[in-house]
Amino acid sequence: MTGSALVAVRGLRVVHRSAGLFARSAVTAVEDVSFEIARGETLALVGESGCGKTSAARALLRLIPCDAGSVTFDGTDVLALAPEPMRRLRKRMQVVFQDPYSSLNPRHRVGTIVAEGLVVHRLASGAAAQARVASLLKEVGLDPADTAKYPHELSGGQRQRVAIARALAVDPEFIVLDEAVSALDVTTQAQVLALLEHLRDARRLTCLFIAHNLAVVQRIATQVAVMQRGRIVEAGPIAQVFDSPRHEYTRTLLDAVPVSDPRDPRALRGQQAERAQPAVGVANRQ
Amino acid sequence: MTALLEVENLRVTYAGAQRDVAAVAGVSFAVAPGEVVALVGESGSGKTATALAIIGLLGESARIEPGSAIRFEGRDLLRLGEPEFRDLRGRRIAMVFQDAGAALNPVMRVGEQVAEAALVHGERDKARARAMAVAMLDRVGLPDAARQARAYPHELSGGMKQRVMLAIALLLKPSLVIADEPTSALDVTVQRQVLSLLLELQRESGTAVLMITHDLGVVAETCSRALVMRRGELVESATVDDLFHAPRHAYTRELLAAMPRLARPVPPG
Repeated sequence: MTGSALVAVRGLRVVHRSAGLFARSAVTAVEDVSFEIARGETLALVGESGCGKTSAARALLRLIPCDAGSVTFDGTDVLALAPEPMRRLRKRMQVVFQDPYSSLNPRHRVGTIVAEGLVVHRLASGAAAQARVASLLKEVGLDPADTAKYPHELSGGQRQRVAIARALAVDPEFIVLDEAVSALDVTTQAQVLALLEHLRDARRLTCLFIAHNLAVVQRIATQVAVMQRGRIVEAGPIAQVFDSPRHEYTRTLLDAVPVSDPRDPRALRGQQAERAQPAVGVANRQ
Repeated sequence: MTALLEVENLRVTYAGAQRDVAAVAGVSFAVAPGEVVALVGESGSGKTATALAIIGLLGESARIEPGSAIRFEGRDLLRLGEPEFRDLRGRRIAMVFQDAGAALNPVMRVGEQVAEAALVHGERDKARARAMAVAMLDRVGLPDAARQARAYPHELSGGMKQRVMLAIALLLKPSLVIADEPTSALDVTVQRQVLSLLLELQRESGTAVLMITHDLGVVAETCSRALVMRRGELVESATVDDLFHAPRHAYTRELLAAMPRLARPVPPG
């Protein structure tokens, strides 16, 4: 896998520091995190809040500084890049955030938002940019007429489609999806997930999918890395990790996912009923 | 068995800037004593407006339309004056909100907030109220409850805050608890612990629970019956088993199809 890895992270360490007026504090969010993503693969980074999954992704994209480690993208040392080559590299790696309400500029129309990358990277302008925006909106399942709308005129699902179109505008090879479907209603979430799967396959995208919902992860990812308190505790192909987890924390996480069928013996209400009425056999033995 | 709660043709309208919006458009259902019933729906379905109407906490901008009726323990809640409602709230009907951090008073120690539930409902003896609060905090699993009773909400984790909310809600053994997305803001491992605790307490005190949720997993885990809402209307009412295995309404089927399901190997035995 090493040879074909598009993204390789080695020994990443991220410390969040704050220098207040009265005290300084430092919290290690990510410690010695390493992973690789081969071209066309989707790696899911999973874990509960505060486990460091978002910090790791942001450091990888150089949106926040990191304290140790290396990030390689298609053979290039990302952390050592000068501003101008870094700007060019950004065209190849894009991100979609969780909250489509705060990640879109409320004063810009959809057309401007989606075209931003085209303009910044001087890929298209004028009528060519407009045509490109229209085709992107169609690709993510929006009406090209939505280009004149403001974010507040759209639903949560539509906004997330705009964020996806914006990310795709520059034809990236790698895309980070940071809880990109977590804030959506379940029917909308299913539609956006289907869209992401389709786009990934059609465009042969490599993805880093950050999520806390293991059922969603199982559907979309090929590889998974489980994070706890800043470290990766288990990683591997999704089927292997989910079907025979080796780390205690992975098992705890999997066991905590709500059942999807009330007849499942693991359902809480069944277990509760058993506890409330002790089995006769047990009572007899006492 | 007679119903504990009967909601009949409930209509709630919010006054909007341009026009009024019907959040709840004629909803009828009943909850039996001790039952755990899910009120399921996506955002904007009217599930929270229904809950707030029951507990009498709809804001100024909302109105309950004539013809609506909410009967609880034989009384028509829509005809109750505020003093009578206040006596009922917390003692007979309690509510657990999604965001415990926002629902708890940030400048009041958590033990104080639990004891307050007893004190406003007639407990005169402060020492006894304090003892009740500590015992309840211990019951909901707050470690070292006697000491932690002195903590402020910000000193507790999200899961612990939600346990405190459960302690407040269940202290007086109400006959109905309305839980509005009680675990949606929690991590999945904490969610399971809190739901398990809610079911234990509910069984112990014979309390009925109206579980408001968007998460069909939570429904499958905890409820025996479910009501599905969409755009202010009740589209399906069924046992949870039927809901999952013989859904009648197209929207219920759509929700079930969209539900993320974790496929796992069947456990041995």
